[in-house]
Amino acid sequence: MPSASSTRTGFDTALLGIKGLALVAAGVLVLAFPQLAPDAFILSVGVVIASYAALAVSWNFVGGFTGYISLGHAAYSGLGGYGTALLILEAGWNPWLSLVGSAVAVGVLALPIGFASLRVRGASFVIVSIALVLILLLVSQSWSDVTGGSNGLRVPRPFGEDVLRPEQHERFFYLHVGLIVIALAVWWAIDRSRFGTGLKAIREDEDKAQALGVPTFAYKLTVFVISAFFTALAGGMYALWFGSLDPIFQFSILVGSYMVLMSLLGGIRSLLGPVVGAVIVGYSLEYFKSAYGDTQFHLVALGLLLALVVLFMPDGVLPALGSLVDRIRPDKATSIREMTAAELVEKNKEIDEARREPEEVSR
Amino acid sequence: MTTTQAPPAVRSLETVELRKSFGGVHAVDGATVTFRPGKINALIGPNGSGKTTFFNCVTGMIKPDSGEVTYQGADITGKAPHRIAAAGVGRSFQLCRIFPRMTVLENMLVGVRPEGLLHRLRGSRNADDIAKARELLRRVGIDHLESSEARDISYGQQKLLELAGVLMTDPETIMLDEPAGGVNPALIGRIGTLVRELNAEGRTFVIVEHNMDMVMSLSDHVVVFDRGRPIAEGTPAEVQGDPRVLEAYLGI
Repeated sequence: MPSASSTRTGFDTALLGIKGLALVAAGVLVLAFPQLAPDAFILSVGVVIASYAALAVSWNFVGGFTGYISLGHAAYSGLGGYGTALLILEAGWNPWLSLVGSAVAVGVLALPIGFASLRVRGASFVIVSIALVLILLLVSQSWSDVTGGSNGLRVPRPFGEDVLRPEQHERFFYLHVGLIVIALAVWWAIDRSRFGTGLKAIREDEDKAQALGVPTFAYKLTVFVISAFFTALAGGMYALWFGSLDPIFQFSILVGSYMVLMSLLGGIRSLLGPVVGAVIVGYSLEYFKSAYGDTQFHLVALGLLLALVVLFMPDGVLPALGSLVDRIRPDKATSIREMTAAELVEKNKEIDEARREPEEVSR
Repeated sequence: MTTTQAPPAVRSLETVELRKSFGGVHAVDGATVTFRPGKINALIGPNGSGKTTFFNCVTGMIKPDSGEVTYQGADITGKAPHRIAAAGVGRSFQLCRIFPRMTVLENMLVGVRPEGLLHRLRGSRNADDIAKARELLRRVGIDHLESSEARDISYGQQKLLELAGVLMTDPETIMLDEPAGGVNPALIGRIGTLVRELNAEGRTFVIVEHNMDMVMSLSDHVVVFDRGRPIAEGTPAEVQGDPRVLEAYLGI
């Protein structure tokens, strides 16, 4: 969090410069990616990673702000995909209108779902969130008149037949990037609002937040609906690109878990954490897939990677980088660690007397 | 005496026959209490006498099984905590609860009073709120820590932060659960002074506390709890001499 105090040191200015440069470089790299990609396959991997990033950023509206870990967000991406396809096929809507219409419908649907599931916390919430995906998987497999069942559902391409595959990939890559940028902008705006401060307080200590006057349930429900809306947009966008839907991939626990893992890996409390996580996980997944072929070994390798990150960077990659920077910061005038011997004695006394959280004592 | 606050209302917090059981344990067992408006009320009693459960019933953290809680004459029984906070009752928690991974200043900006949708969507760093937060941090003496993460400051400082955070909601009545618990004597003195100052501004206090020195020197009115209900009340001197109180504490 940037501090509101106006004492900016030379180190901070330099850091800001480096951050800005890195951001610009990353942005240029992303925009130039379709031109840099050597072939259509690599380009399609780029689209997949962008899709993962869009999903992870959307998930992080709930996960990052409130700390409620939903393993079932594939429900909303899946519904977004099927909704988009069905609005095109059955209602004859324009593809882009279908995409937005389906996301709005999913947002509305998320209201009663959130109303029911956000009443429980912690592990209970995780379990409840999974239930919906499993129900939707069964329904979409069985209701084959509408969804095509396990035969899948073909989604008409939004661009004409004359647009070739690489061109198709390129357009969808930019569309996904656009979606990510919009979602990030909304996340950023919430982060800076009083609404966002209330949400973060819920993540830290929900009862305490409510005692301070935060209408916790209304806040959680609102951000849950926002999250479902963006997840559905991402799911619909993927459907338009991929062109075919199968229940087993749309309503998959694995996809829901990817969103969680990517966000955790990148850092759920930072704006760009989920994007960084999606790039790392998405790239590794595709790499391991090509290295180990059709076996399920890529999942084992991915699991190992995540275990390592959780062991060494429990807060995620970006926060880990942040604290590394803090460690090399030359002046620590604002840090309470810089104190006189007398203050230290005082503080130790306080620590002894007070029952503190174990993690804090071990610091 | 500075009266920046509105003059204290005629009635403050009152409970009638409040009950709450957990399984077979009657944690609060028919408690009828009237706290004195504009005064520093203390709630004391042996461990397990139901003080904290009573506190939680009053502030909406748990729903009482039966009975009634009123604030300034309005029924607030079983209302959600944020509604009770909005009515003007602020509270701190036993063992001090702050938002550990938010900065001290951000901690301050969580507290809200009833406000419109537009205000909620407003930037949390708007000048009014920040000025108010800094003013309160200065008042409790931790303004130099505003950009530290709350988990990094000492326990005593966290206690002060919690108190300052409650003040952000501008409560007319402040309920403190063990404000002196786990802090050093110098800080106990500072917290006592703060309570006295805030009381002089017209705020009513209800304090659960085990530190008898603090209770006796600070409070105007003492309510003694035992087995989930008040067994005695009065001025500190009256309560100290009450045989029922001695029995409850010492078991004589």
